[in-house]
Amino acid sequence: MFKKIMFATTASPSCDHAARVAFNMAENYDSDLSVFHVLGIPSQGYSMDVIDSRTGERVSYDKDYAQWVVEEMKNTYAKLMEKYSNCTLEALPGVPHTEISRYARKNNIDLIVMGASSKDEESESPAVHRKFAGSTLQAVAKSARCPVLVVGRPAASFWGGFSNIVFATDFSKSADSAFMFARKISKALGCKLHVFHAFDISGMHAGKIMEQYEIEDKMRAAREKIRSKYLPGLRDIDDYEIAVWEGIPYVEIVKYTRENYADLIVMAHHTREPDSEKVKLGSTLEQVVLRATCPVASVNRPDKIKDM
Amino acid sequence: MPEGILCNKKTVDTKEQLDALLADKNGQQYYEEMNSLDVDTDALWASIQKTCKSRIKTWLEICAHCGLCADSCFYYLANNKDPKQVPAYKIHSTLGEMIKRKGRVDNAFMQMCMETAFAKCTCCTRCGVYCPLGIDMAMMFGYLRGLLFSQGFTPWEMKIGTGMHRIYRAQMDITTEDWVDTCQWMEEEYEDDWPGMKIPIDVENADIMYTVNAREPKHYPEDLAEAARLFQIAGENWTVPSQGWEETSLAMFAGDWGACKLQVESVYGAMERLKPKRMVVTECGHAYRATVIEGPYWAGIKSGQTPVESIHYVEWVAEALRTGKLKIDPAKKIKEPVTYQDSCNYIRNAGLANIPREIMSYIAEDFREMKPCREHNFCCGGGGGLNGIGLYRKQRNVGLKVKRDQILETGAKLVIAPCHNCWDAIRDLEEVYRIGIRWSFLKPILLSMVEVPEHLKPMDE
Repeated sequence: MFKKIMFATTASPSCDHAARVAFNMAENYDSDLSVFHVLGIPSQGYSMDVIDSRTGERVSYDKDYAQWVVEEMKNTYAKLMEKYSNCTLEALPGVPHTEISRYARKNNIDLIVMGASSKDEESESPAVHRKFAGSTLQAVAKSARCPVLVVGRPAASFWGGFSNIVFATDFSKSADSAFMFARKISKALGCKLHVFHAFDISGMHAGKIMEQYEIEDKMRAAREKIRSKYLPGLRDIDDYEIAVWEGIPYVEIVKYTRENYADLIVMAHHTREPDSEKVKLGSTLEQVVLRATCPVASVNRPDKIKDM
Repeated sequence: MPEGILCNKKTVDTKEQLDALLADKNGQQYYEEMNSLDVDTDALWASIQKTCKSRIKTWLEICAHCGLCADSCFYYLANNKDPKQVPAYKIHSTLGEMIKRKGRVDNAFMQMCMETAFAKCTCCTRCGVYCPLGIDMAMMFGYLRGLLFSQGFTPWEMKIGTGMHRIYRAQMDITTEDWVDTCQWMEEEYEDDWPGMKIPIDVENADIMYTVNAREPKHYPEDLAEAARLFQIAGENWTVPSQGWEETSLAMFAGDWGACKLQVESVYGAMERLKPKRMVVTECGHAYRATVIEGPYWAGIKSGQTPVESIHYVEWVAEALRTGKLKIDPAKKIKEPVTYQDSCNYIRNAGLANIPREIMSYIAEDFREMKPCREHNFCCGGGGGLNGIGLYRKQRNVGLKVKRDQILETGAKLVIAPCHNCWDAIRDLEEVYRIGIRWSFLKPILLSMVEVPEHLKPMDE
């Protein structure tokens, strides 16, 4: 299913859960696993200063240092590598999201696994220093041709396999790819698929009052849309459910996931023109990643899913 | 005559030499070797006799030591008016002294010259503007850097940079394959957002040949996509060369004139191969100076002109706005106070001061000039290669204070800096002094407000 898995790691504890998931998946699918770390070039002109992920200090980059980081990564993931050794480790200097995307493209990666690093951790990263950029995750999720699995907290039922997958849709074109992925995964894993839409009423906080009937009409329409758009694709899925809730989308997605004991959220991430203020708050995807009790897979494009 | 393994008078022409330099952490061994590097005084004097012509001799001779250049130098101002930072003193105590002693100088003197030429002068030429006799100290410092380089006295990063240009014809290790691949990647990357956007490679007889700064394909490939999108919206017939795409010249900062020549010849070669009507240089100041202003002389082109007409990115933007190729949505103009960093290399030294003002009139509602501005603007603090030199970071950071105060005085929180060096220096000054500003190139700003023809908009779901 995933011949080539790339685990893009900050090599810090925030990626530990992601590491377990990445190695575990690679083992399950007998995949080539690339453990990839970008030594972020923080700034200071065009010098090769990088931030050491352990000490947080500014160090000067050279090949020896990169090699040393790889050795450190080997130590960090020694236990996991004992169990599954078909992996390569690499550390490169650069802007993290650029190098992750470049590597994934060049090596024809089928799945990227990332940890959910907090905004604090990234506040010093070059992403912040690059015009109106968002986080590394946001940029990678937007650019990737393959699904990006973000593991903030470990899957609740890590031992028992998957029982429920939530596909959260905004009806976009990207969401079609996410749906295709969710459908294939739930079929492969034999678990229940929830097709969920959160009707966004966050505008009400800004004073845009909606009548209740209006909200209900919209929700009915959304349910209709789910039926027409996704039902044909659900024919060969044994167990599925359709739900539409109203509220602030990320809150509702997280709540729904929790109430249904889901092990995975699948959604698309497409911000076309990131506006600086919105990016600061983070996209729905980022908010879900930070708050959900399970991993989140972001899927934007069909390329890698068609032949899955 | 002891020469170091890394620090020596040889140029860096092989990958092995370059790798050895890169493997030397912070240039430790390099600078240690520099301490025992002999000065070939005969060669130095011979070189001076051959290259130091009447102009420089006259300048050194006629300087009246009036001190009017003092207050023009941002280093002098940032260092509490230290007399040792007066431009005239700086050049007389280095190049002047070297010539006076007929090249008979020692290692310590050469190292002092290196520090003065790189950490006390960014070759911004502001002092030259204020000298009543029109003495161009920056030009002389450039000349001094060349003499120092020929004797092996150049900062570690500069030596690496020259090697990059000699080997890769770019300031970074980007091969033709890497470059072409990055262009293709960006096309794919934005195919949904910007339908039909192409980065045409090696198209002959295009109206525009676009050339960049190696940092764009290396670290900020989206910059390339943004340029492509704006050309697309403007309906330009443009191309990038597969070879000869790099405009910058760390070799110019270092004074490695041989590498300078190789670098610009690769760009001129592309012009001759593809025969574009014009060349547009990306948002970089020194790249423009190197390839458009100085380059023809390095390449021995008698007219002093590039093989085809060459313009800076800001000139293209102004023209596109003026002719309506790019139309700004008035509702999306920048509302907040915004200021503009005049790059020394294309404003003071190439006379483009009116161009940014024209651009700002289209895109900003509350444009605030720095004081002083235009030809009189201060260097960002990172010019002349200083941004990249670890050894002199402290001195640079002190120098940044002048730009910091200039920006603060405008009250603007957004600084438009269409020059890689300025952009870096302003980012770094925010990192060092935390004054709460943002900074940007022109491309993302333009893309946020330009009107997009219906057929170029992304297909809605």
